[in-house]
Amino acid sequence: MRLVLAAAAFALLPLVVKSDFILTILVFSFLLGMLAVGFNLIFGYTGQLSMFHAAAFGISAYATYLSMTHWGTSFWTGMLIASALVLALSVIVGTICFRFRLKEFYFAVVTLAFSEMARLVVLNWNGVTNGTLGIILQEKPNIWLPGQGLVKLEGTLMWYYVSLVALALTVIVCLRLVNSWMGRCFAAIRLNDELGDTLGINVFRYKLAAFVVGNIIAAITGGLYAFYLGSIEPGFLSIDQSLAIVAMVLLGGRGAVAAPVIGALVLTALPHMIHLGAELRSIVYGAILILTILLMPQGIYGTLALLGRRRAV
Amino acid sequence: MLFEVANLTKRFDGLTAVADLSFSIAHGEIVGVFGPNGSGKTTLLSLIAGMLVPTAGRIVWKDREIQGAKPHDIAAAGVVKTFQNPQLFAELSVFEHLMIAGHLMLKRRLGWRRAATLFNPDTGHAGADLEKRATDVLRLCRLEAARDQAAAGLSYGEEKMLGVAMALMCEPELLLLDEPASGLGQPEIENLEAVLRDLRSHGTTLCVIDHKVGFLGKLADRAISLHHGAKIAEGTPAQVLNDPRVIAAYLGQHHA
Repeated sequence: MRLVLAAAAFALLPLVVKSDFILTILVFSFLLGMLAVGFNLIFGYTGQLSMFHAAAFGISAYATYLSMTHWGTSFWTGMLIASALVLALSVIVGTICFRFRLKEFYFAVVTLAFSEMARLVVLNWNGVTNGTLGIILQEKPNIWLPGQGLVKLEGTLMWYYVSLVALALTVIVCLRLVNSWMGRCFAAIRLNDELGDTLGINVFRYKLAAFVVGNIIAAITGGLYAFYLGSIEPGFLSIDQSLAIVAMVLLGGRGAVAAPVIGALVLTALPHMIHLGAELRSIVYGAILILTILLMPQGIYGTLALLGRRRAV
Repeated sequence: MLFEVANLTKRFDGLTAVADLSFSIAHGEIVGVFGPNGSGKTTLLSLIAGMLVPTAGRIVWKDREIQGAKPHDIAAAGVVKTFQNPQLFAELSVFEHLMIAGHLMLKRRLGWRRAATLFNPDTGHAGADLEKRATDVLRLCRLEAARDQAAAGLSYGEEKMLGVAMALMCEPELLLLDEPASGLGQPEIENLEAVLRDLRSHGTTLCVIDHKVGFLGKLADRAISLHHGAKIAEGTPAQVLNDPRVIAAYLGQHHA
């Protein structure tokens, strides 16, 4: 119910808020929120700290562009191909990690190594990826609108609604998944995988399922994000990007499907709201992040929910 | 024979925890495995449930060799184990534990159709059956009052009963219980006995291990005694408990 209200409020927001600046921040927040919601399926619900998320995001951004330029596909077909590629890579990386029963720190380090491998390939494959310079994307995807037919997806307002719908669909898919029998398997793996195993849950299969679904969501986000931004660069696949996603989830809260969106909103908007010199701004930004995580280990959503419950009692 | 262990051996480096052990269990039996602490009882159950891989020997379940199979495959085949120290999903409620443990039941009812229920939370009859069974199991194990309580807040006795309740949700044909009565008070032990007898009357085969002889002596149809991982006696509980070798194993040579 709260989610429907939030979605409705965001849908109506552009009627009131005309500032292109604010709407742009919101588009980035929605897309990064989508990324964080997908990541939380792996991290918050299944308990696996994956560092492969930025790789899935970045690989898909490049692959979408490459299939458009080399095979002449549309943006959407390119995104589909990129998602299929990420699916295949996730199955390979996930199978290696989960067959060897890598957990916690070891899982994080090995997925990070795979992610760095992907980043170095992108960085050094100059002929295809243009290396450190990155690629400027001038083309915009087409979308079909009722009454108007195929139109170019451009302008902040159109992107605002496309990213809002994409985020809403992601939240719906994850909500369904988390509240299904598969969500119960995820919880069993997070809380006590040995017990889950003796109860007949195929731990390997459902860890892999969470990993693959989370990465496909990242892949879809990657294409959208790159074409909204209008450029791709190897930084998409960097450890900073992975850590930013982790920070969004910790800040927003990992106990609810949509909570990471709050983290994405705060972390995207915050740098623009601190009007200080660049160095000081980084320090203030970092301090806010550290304090929030120290003082609100449940994240913003978790803390608010807890306060709400206390007041109700 | 429903279940058979043949020449089962498990060595950890220099230590032989289970030594050339052979026995069988018939359908509907309650078999008690006695032995002092360190006699290899828990290792035996872990081998059967697939949590350890035997060094040598065979474990046969319904004419199929299962030694070395994965724990979830063995559970799916109908052999389910409880833990000596209760293993729980601490932050979840008792009822949520049972719903997780109902995984195999849903899998058996729906098969691949489960995939279709992912994006449509209505699992139809199978879902309703699952909730009904969870409610029945709660009643059977006398955990109804704790239904919505978080597992972290349960008493030790309730934790152990929850372990049994989760195993029951798996619809076991052979239930392996690792010291189910240890740490329980007398009323809880009586309740446990009633639950186990009820299970047997519904066709479940039980293999119970315990180092205390009183509880198992009353319950088991047949007993096996282990010492240093090897079988030293087999027969009715009374025969086994009066066997001089068993008395010597428990109390030392000069008491025998």
